[in-house]
Amino acid sequence: MQSTRRSFLKGVGAGVLCLTLGQMGFDLGEAKAYVRKLKIEGAKEVISICPFCAVQCQIIGHVKDGKLVSTEGDPDYPINEGSLCAKGAALFTMYTSDHRLKKPMYRAPHSDHWEEKSWEWTLDQIAHRVKETRDRDIILKNDKGQTVNRFETMFWMGTSHASNEECAVIHQALRGLGVVHMDHQARV
Amino acid sequence: MTNHWIDIKNSDAVLIIGSNAAEHHPVAFKWIQRAKDNGAVLMHVDPKFSRTSARCDFHVPLRSGTDIAFLGGMVNYIIQNNLYFKEYVVNYTNATFVVGKDYAFQDGLFSGYNPTTRKYDKSKWAFEKNKDGGPVIDTTLKNERCVFNLMRKHYSRYTLKNVSDVTGVSEENLRKVYDAFCATGRPDKAGTILYALGWTQHTVGVQNIRTSTLIQLLLGNIGVAGGGINALRGEPNVQGSTDHALLYNNLPGYIALPLSSWQTLAEFQKANTPVTTLKTSANWWSNRPKYMVSLLKGWFGDAATKENDFCYELLPKGEPGEDYSYMYAMDRTYNGKMRGGFVWGVNPMSSFPNTNKMRTALDNLDWLVCCELHNSETTDNWRRPGVDPKACKTEVFLLPSAHRIEKEGTISNSGRWLQWFDQAVKPAGEGRCFADIVVPLFNRIRELYKTEGGTLPDPILKMHWTEKFDAAEWTRRINGQFWQDTEVNGKLYKRGQQVPAFGVLKDDGSTSSLNWLYAGSWTEEDGNKSKRRNTTQTPMQAKIGLYPNWSWCWPVNRRILYNRASVDVNGKPFNPEKPVIAWQDGKWVGDVPDGPWPPLAMEGGKLPFIMCKDGCAQFYGPGREDGPFPEHYEPAETPLANHPFSKQLVSPVYKFHTTPHDKIALPADPKYPIVLTTYSLTEHWCGGGETRNVPNLLEAEPQLYVEMSHELAEEKGIKNGDGVILESPRGRVEAIAMVTIRIRPFTVMGKTLHLVGMPFFAGWTTPKCGDTTNRLTVTAYDPNTTIPETKVCCVNLRKADKLTEIG
Amino acid sequence: MPKSFLVDTTRCTACRGCQLACKEWHDLPANETKQTGTHQNPPDLNPYNYKIVRFREHLDEKGNVVWNFFPDQCRHCVIPICKEVADMAVPGAIVKDERTGAVLVTEKAAQLSEADIKAVIDACPYNIPRLDTKTHLLTKCDMCADRVQAGMLPMCVKTCPTGAMSFGERDEILDLAQKRLDVVKQKHPKAYLAYVRDVSVIYLLAEEKKYYYEYASFM
Repeated sequence: MQSTRRSFLKGVGAGVLCLTLGQMGFDLGEAKAYVRKLKIEGAKEVISICPFCAVQCQIIGHVKDGKLVSTEGDPDYPINEGSLCAKGAALFTMYTSDHRLKKPMYRAPHSDHWEEKSWEWTLDQIAHRVKETRDRDIILKNDKGQTVNRFETMFWMGTSHASNEECAVIHQALRGLGVVHMDHQARV
Repeated sequence: MTNHWIDIKNSDAVLIIGSNAAEHHPVAFKWIQRAKDNGAVLMHVDPKFSRTSARCDFHVPLRSGTDIAFLGGMVNYIIQNNLYFKEYVVNYTNATFVVGKDYAFQDGLFSGYNPTTRKYDKSKWAFEKNKDGGPVIDTTLKNERCVFNLMRKHYSRYTLKNVSDVTGVSEENLRKVYDAFCATGRPDKAGTILYALGWTQHTVGVQNIRTSTLIQLLLGNIGVAGGGINALRGEPNVQGSTDHALLYNNLPGYIALPLSSWQTLAEFQKANTPVTTLKTSANWWSNRPKYMVSLLKGWFGDAATKENDFCYELLPKGEPGEDYSYMYAMDRTYNGKMRGGFVWGVNPMSSFPNTNKMRTALDNLDWLVCCELHNSETTDNWRRPGVDPKACKTEVFLLPSAHRIEKEGTISNSGRWLQWFDQAVKPAGEGRCFADIVVPLFNRIRELYKTEGGTLPDPILKMHWTEKFDAAEWTRRINGQFWQDTEVNGKLYKRGQQVPAFGVLKDDGSTSSLNWLYAGSWTEEDGNKSKRRNTTQTPMQAKIGLYPNWSWCWPVNRRILYNRASVDVNGKPFNPEKPVIAWQDGKWVGDVPDGPWPPLAMEGGKLPFIMCKDGCAQFYGPGREDGPFPEHYEPAETPLANHPFSKQLVSPVYKFHTTPHDKIALPADPKYPIVLTTYSLTEHWCGGGETRNVPNLLEAEPQLYVEMSHELAEEKGIKNGDGVILESPRGRVEAIAMVTIRIRPFTVMGKTLHLVGMPFFAGWTTPKCGDTTNRLTVTAYDPNTTIPETKVCCVNLRKADKLTEIG
Repeated sequence: MPKSFLVDTTRCTACRGCQLACKEWHDLPANETKQTGTHQNPPDLNPYNYKIVRFREHLDEKGNVVWNFFPDQCRHCVIPICKEVADMAVPGAIVKDERTGAVLVTEKAAQLSEADIKAVIDACPYNIPRLDTKTHLLTKCDMCADRVQAGMLPMCVKTCPTGAMSFGERDEILDLAQKRLDVVKQKHPKAYLAYVRDVSVIYLLAEEKKYYYEYASFM
């Protein structure tokens, strides 16, 4: 049995839903003319999760024409039951913030400014930095002659913002490189 | 959390200590209030009165850093007044185990202490052994060296008077909390302890939590509905990122990092596979070799064979006893031993302690790669106030990351529920999710090793990797797969198919799993269970709000850990009104039990604490760095010169660093007489790097403030809203005074002591908002976890003539 | 049957989910604010905040700290005085939707003179309407009429995690309010429902209004 507490919804699928209005029998009455159009009417519903604390309130993202138009709590999730705190309630403008970083940026040694760069260039540069550092510094044997294969001079910090899948990818890549200095927010 | 969010409603007494749940887990407070609706008493023990306190039955102010004294007092109170649940204590804990003769405790120090290395020789704390090597057990609790009697003796010093003197809590208030919470020592009552960073961020963080274990075991509150020790995990996926171990000392699934002393897989497995002599102990970690080999198989695929130790040799090996954590990485950076670093989705130049040290250290890197939603104090450290960018050599690559709603995958909530989220919209601009950067980056590195060669290319080239990241593919890999056709209970699984549960994982290379705990989350039979949105429950499950069919939770969809401790030895629930599991007609009903075995009293029955070697929960924990019993020590930076529990003022084994930036004030230093505690707040997220860039949230909490009592404000000539300058031995910070009755002076050891509190959300990249509070906090760490003591340091403060950081 | 709200302040944790959700749903821009020694920010209702949570603290007779939270918003009065005053100048500037009970400012309100606007603002017993000087329109809570007409909860009620806010048919809410009052009175004998008969937004207060906000209740 699938759950729904949204009587106006026709069936709840696996994540992506479609909001339909108009058959609810509402008499919009005198005030109709002064009430703005429901901005989520006809929007696709997508289930996401608030990116903050580990209550992990589920969120419905309302999407129209590939654009996010609103967010609110998912009433079906048994833990938040549709509710959110101040941060969760501000998700919409958090996603639409103009302040967001939009492109890879580069700051050269001793420079006083950022430069926009392409992903191609940026990933190439980073790959070379990692390899050069690793090739120079990796410790194959310790003082006792034991094999250690340890790349000590590069660290990784972060992040609990990553999904489980991303954590798995990051962990595997780092141990492949021989990284031991790795840590994230669980330790602060 | 041993339990889960909804389960809090089943509690009869909710003790919130080391947490400000209403402000930091606001939606969780829904379930705390439901407990109250059902008749529970809510208590908040915390240095300041907060929005949590406002909704509790009472608030008890506690001097920051004295939780062990407070809780140790409760342990003493329970034992002295015979309030413990004896059946539970005798049957399910190591209270009955006899401790070896080398264990001793004298004047604040346990036996085996070496003052030169500041370390204990833990072999001195071993249990007495039988001829077969197993523990000596005295179920009569008469042996004076049994754990129960050692614990009674240890906490006999924690009298109401001593505790009150140190904590600043009146004896009346101590009794109020102790009485209300200890009432849950009855079999049919449950009390829950909710904690968060208020416990972990201390030089005695682990022992804070251990003390709560003592209380909850004495009262029989572990494993039951409405009970447990519940870490209200803060960060969005900190449960998952800990399970998948973005931590130096673990591999995914709580498997230790290989060390140089374990050169072969056999040596690793021997050292990491506990052995028990007790037939009634499930000793679940005896399965660890299967999980380790399945992890290696997941990482190296067909390249991992029995003959080559499944590529174990290729993994990095740490040095025994070496610390590779955040704080040590930064100290090594400070000392010029690091060349490059990745800092992703975290803002250490705001949220790390002693930030002036950290900011100076970061300048020493040759290159830095950041991946963020916004510029932060970390990404822009090279142009921070007061430094000339031209002097900083660091090359910085700043990558735009994707927000949660712009990607898909799973995360794990604090109650271990695995939850799928869909992608609603494409990432803004050229933003990418973390994995969409790591995968192509690693592929480029692989390509370089393939074409150019290099040092030790094998671990990189032999990996079972991917060309392009697909979240679902990795959810499946995490669950685990068969690498050869295998028959399980008469059903044939083909190579490449999903394993149904961790019970089928093997140490012969026939299975893989990137995290054994998650095995069973995506199966051939049921598909991706993290997408389940089914609210059906049996009437028994509905009574306690178990929701077993909504999403999936590790391990094996068990919603309440250690649930075998919720029933007596015959499988009968201690609380028949709120049963978690029950043995009925030859089988378990309710939650998924901790293992399929029948109740303890029956043939083949097992003890409830299956992750402990000997099946019993541990009052006495000989594995910790700072002693088998929690003991009160003052914070590394303390306003006191002595305390009544022992002559050992501070933890003898806490960790610290020694650069010129790592200053710690002397005990009771008159230059820094005021205690500072730091915290998050509702409207910003931790260091604020994300939420300060959300105008609607910045509107609600725009600038850094310091909360102080009217008494202190008057003493310092400060009025509400005035600018204030705070100083510690490590730095200086500006803030706006919030003068309030919510903080009041403490009386400690007969003297008045002031405490102030500050959030740490501010940072200089947000104009006029102030800069990080952490420039004041101390680089002293818990010896077990290396978590810094950001909850306590000593400062002084004065009214500011003018402000430069806040506009 | 018109709708009503119950705001049970004894359940409110001032998480400000309602304050932010209201702002986000109505696409209102942020104000530049300052820390002045309180969490209450913005300090007052304004054209960009139809709802704010007010904070007030005091010591009770036993010396215990009491910290009260008051999520402030338009009461959607049963007989709205603002509408009556506005009607005298520009009929239709403020209307009451009989079906929901929502009191709504319309575009016609732009025709109100400075003096009319002042009269409307002064008439409100709860100090709610604010003038947006850019649009020359009165601003206030609109009961999320767009949502309510679509069968959805007002955003603040939807967002509230602790059950401090409820919304529904008036008779159901009156019933709920009385039930909650009976419970709350056991601990707070002075608790009362603020002006039940006259408003659609009923506040359950644990003590006198001076411990919340001057305009928390009419009397």
